[in-house]
Amino acid sequence: MSEITLGARRPVIVRRRRWRIPVTAIPYLFLAPATLWYAAFLVYPMLQSLYVSFFDWDGLSPTMTFVGLENYINIFAVDEVARLALWNNILWTIGALALPTFFGLMLALALNRRAPASTLFRTIFYSPAVLPLVAVGLIWAWMYNPHFGVVNVTLKAVGLRSWANGWLSNYEMALPATFVTFIWSHVGFPMIFYLAGLQAISKDYYEAATIDGANAFQRFRHVTMPGLAETHVIVLSLAVINGFKVFDLVYTMTYGGPGRSTQVLGTWMYFQTFQYYHAGYGSALAWVIAAIVLVIAIPYIRRMSRG
Amino acid sequence: MMSDVRRQRRLEQTVIFLGLLALSLIWLTPFATVVLSAIRGQGDLLARGVFSLPKKIAWSNFAEAWSTGDFSIYFRNSLLLIAMKVPLGIFIAALAAYPLAKLRFRFSGAIFIFFLAGLAVPVQVTLQPLLVMMKQLGIANSLFALVPPYVAFGLPFQIFVLRGFFRLIPSELLEAARLDGASEWTAFLRVMLPLSVPALATLCIIDVLATWNEFLIALVLISAKESRTVPVGLLQFQGEYSSQYTLLMAGILISIVPVIAIFIFLQRYFVAGLTAGAVKG
Amino acid sequence: MRGLKIFAATALAGFVAFSGGAEAKDTLRLMTVFDAPTVKLWEPVLAAYNAANPDVEVKMETVAGSGAAVYPDVLRTSMASGDPPDVFFMWGGEIAGPFIKAGQVEPLDAYYEKYGWEKVVAPWTIDRITRDGHKYGVPFHARGMGLWYRVDLFEKYGLSEPKTYDDLANICSTFKKDGIYCASFGGKFGWQTMRLLDYFTETTCGPEEHDKLNMLQSSWNQPCVVAAYDRMAQWVKDGWLVPDFLNVAPNDARMPVYSGDAAMVFEGGWFEGVLKSDEQPLENYKFFLPPTGHTPVRYSAFPEQWMIPTSSKHKDQAAALINWMTIADTQKQYPEAFTASATIGVESDCAVAPRDCEWKKLLTSDSATYPPTDQAFTKELIDGFFEVQDGVVAGKITPADAAAQMQAKAEAWKAKQKS
Repeated sequence: MSEITLGARRPVIVRRRRWRIPVTAIPYLFLAPATLWYAAFLVYPMLQSLYVSFFDWDGLSPTMTFVGLENYINIFAVDEVARLALWNNILWTIGALALPTFFGLMLALALNRRAPASTLFRTIFYSPAVLPLVAVGLIWAWMYNPHFGVVNVTLKAVGLRSWANGWLSNYEMALPATFVTFIWSHVGFPMIFYLAGLQAISKDYYEAATIDGANAFQRFRHVTMPGLAETHVIVLSLAVINGFKVFDLVYTMTYGGPGRSTQVLGTWMYFQTFQYYHAGYGSALAWVIAAIVLVIAIPYIRRMSRG
Repeated sequence: MMSDVRRQRRLEQTVIFLGLLALSLIWLTPFATVVLSAIRGQGDLLARGVFSLPKKIAWSNFAEAWSTGDFSIYFRNSLLLIAMKVPLGIFIAALAAYPLAKLRFRFSGAIFIFFLAGLAVPVQVTLQPLLVMMKQLGIANSLFALVPPYVAFGLPFQIFVLRGFFRLIPSELLEAARLDGASEWTAFLRVMLPLSVPALATLCIIDVLATWNEFLIALVLISAKESRTVPVGLLQFQGEYSSQYTLLMAGILISIVPVIAIFIFLQRYFVAGLTAGAVKG
Repeated sequence: MRGLKIFAATALAGFVAFSGGAEAKDTLRLMTVFDAPTVKLWEPVLAAYNAANPDVEVKMETVAGSGAAVYPDVLRTSMASGDPPDVFFMWGGEIAGPFIKAGQVEPLDAYYEKYGWEKVVAPWTIDRITRDGHKYGVPFHARGMGLWYRVDLFEKYGLSEPKTYDDLANICSTFKKDGIYCASFGGKFGWQTMRLLDYFTETTCGPEEHDKLNMLQSSWNQPCVVAAYDRMAQWVKDGWLVPDFLNVAPNDARMPVYSGDAAMVFEGGWFEGVLKSDEQPLENYKFFLPPTGHTPVRYSAFPEQWMIPTSSKHKDQAAALINWMTIADTQKQYPEAFTASATIGVESDCAVAPRDCEWKKLLTSDSATYPPTDQAFTKELIDGFFEVQDGVVAGKITPADAAAQMQAKAEAWKAKQKS
């Protein structure tokens, strides 16, 4: 179908060339700009931080002391906060894999139609992403405020007084409460990916399935889900990656507290690097984060996108 | 029988609609708080509570935030940055994603992993090397200092996503173009990109928002006021010992207007594919 | 494609514009934490300096943001990358410590001799910024802290400013009986809760021991520290403080006081300015120094200072600028830009800012002060202190355990410094 539409809309222009680029070189030419840019402005600074991670350095002095793998050993052998942070990251990632992803898919299915209401709803569910972090932090701190916050006030008003609590100030509730904010602010992200993914599924499949007598659930299972396979890979692997890298929201909303109960690897790395002046140790933490993410995400992505 | 199905359909639609409506009200509560806080006096907000209704509407907050915050400077910078960064970044990401998705060549798997690895990099530890680099390039402290890191940090994600979506485009279409004598470049430009509009629009939105709201790199790489962007500019309402909440919220509302507009404009492309199917059906 | 070309052209034009500007005069970069209103107050100050000194152009760069959260990060990166300002703002004590230890801050002893600053600013502020016998900064602000209270609530319940700790405890139990919280704190970042704990420690341990604790010369695992933690736990348990405050932002802790649900906040002299910008009735707020039961009654105070980076290329001009900003002649011309000044002889207008005026008298007199613990400890150690403090407030750590844990953290930190 598309060939015809396409041909009619955009005729392919054939130009004669005086010389031809060798066919084998073509892929590399396409890759060259991105590779060079990426190598210069991301890989190179990151390798510098790898170098720093083998040193004891405050990030300020002209002198650095080589300590070999000591920073890495300390992360796993000595640093209790790092251990707690890793556990928090694991919980966060599991939550991120399940909740915003599921809600995002449901919203995408519900809003995958051309209607004024759909446009409005899509905008609403994606809108938290437009707010700068400072606004998200302030507003949610107010909403969760134990004294005047709208969350406790609402719970009390609907007869759930016993559910009211200190939220961010509560050791046990601080991380879950922050995660609720995360769902609020991030659900639009999987939603728009799934919306884009749904476009790639041909209507013909649905029609064929309906003619074969498939009900809505069967159509979802046998047409929608397989059609979204590529989108699932994207959404789920990004959930894992961002789950281990989470920094902004935790840093803004809880600052790692109360106590150190909500420290995650990203915030702990920031505290170490910038506030405790252990640039070497912070860099080592950054590489540990990167290693965890890569070990989990890459085999998954490779397996899913084969063939 | 047909009308039964139709009635059930309508009922289903109504339930979904009401569910969405309830959910979106919850989703909008924080926004309502931003708006309520932006249109009242600071004393009113703090003494009567941030969730109370304003005693008096203070529209003047917007004008005051705009002028005391020097928003015209930050707005211009942020818009300029988006104009430079977003098309450039997405274009070179698309260039790289094309062969990774559709061409067979040596090391393609390794190169893909090489880019993916960038997703794992925490930006915080690269700040210092980046600042040194920008100094050596002679663009530290200017708006241009943000383009190299923004593009670089966007690439892994964009290449990953675009590769995924490019793979969904049937290879036969490219094959047909090649048979017609089109070069790889033409096939990319005339077949691949037009067919990937929903994905490109999605990426554009994410990228515009990420660029508009990026804080840490902009904070560290730029110290001159003339080159600062909106999120860093918002800091100004937060003093050492007190915050001007009402001006801050007014500033935030002003600052999200352009991005909301861009979102509404771009999201029409989300459903571009739907119409194509509908026409055919 | 066209986008790309336009980008390239703009970028090129940009490069040319930035490298092409010939500099006739030296630019002095002054880095501060000022927010937008303060920047506006400072515009005429810098304009006057630039007019009087045609060979230099002072440019202010500012990184606002509350409570030392963002500014040091930016400063540190700029220094480490060899791109520091020429003069920068800094808090007192250990917040400046890492910069000095790394050799990034110029000792100003020679300039002190040249300009005679020792006679210009309050002596205790100079003590507080001196490190290893060198003066690395010039005091700019002198800030003291006390308990600010709502006059109407005190009057309504027939209360007066306390003379002893027991008086204070009575005030709190009176308020509690009437359903008003005695005080409101914001525990996020730790430093506001710390003010109360510091006061308890000063009371239970006494001035001498408190100083030794701050210098880690005395063990934290001792009865008077346990007693201080115990008071903290007691205040929380008795409901004297607005509950569940551990992650409430310090600025948000003021709201219950503004609404009349709580009676007091532990704030510094700046609170008068805060009340003004928060549009609260000034006359309804007064402060007292919390009674310690020791003589002299010491209160928590700290300086803020100007420093010059070692790598600045314009040190002499930077020192001249600092001198001009410090001397009373300048400050008197711009009273609004120089509230809470550390300079002797700069009086605030007692009719316009009565509380600031009171503080000013206290802070430039020979009254005795103690440093807030977050300026006595490095950030790494103070975060350990905050962790223990949070545990006590939440009832997760007993006062006795808290004292022991704090000492363990102090020892671990000392051991780390030696290695």
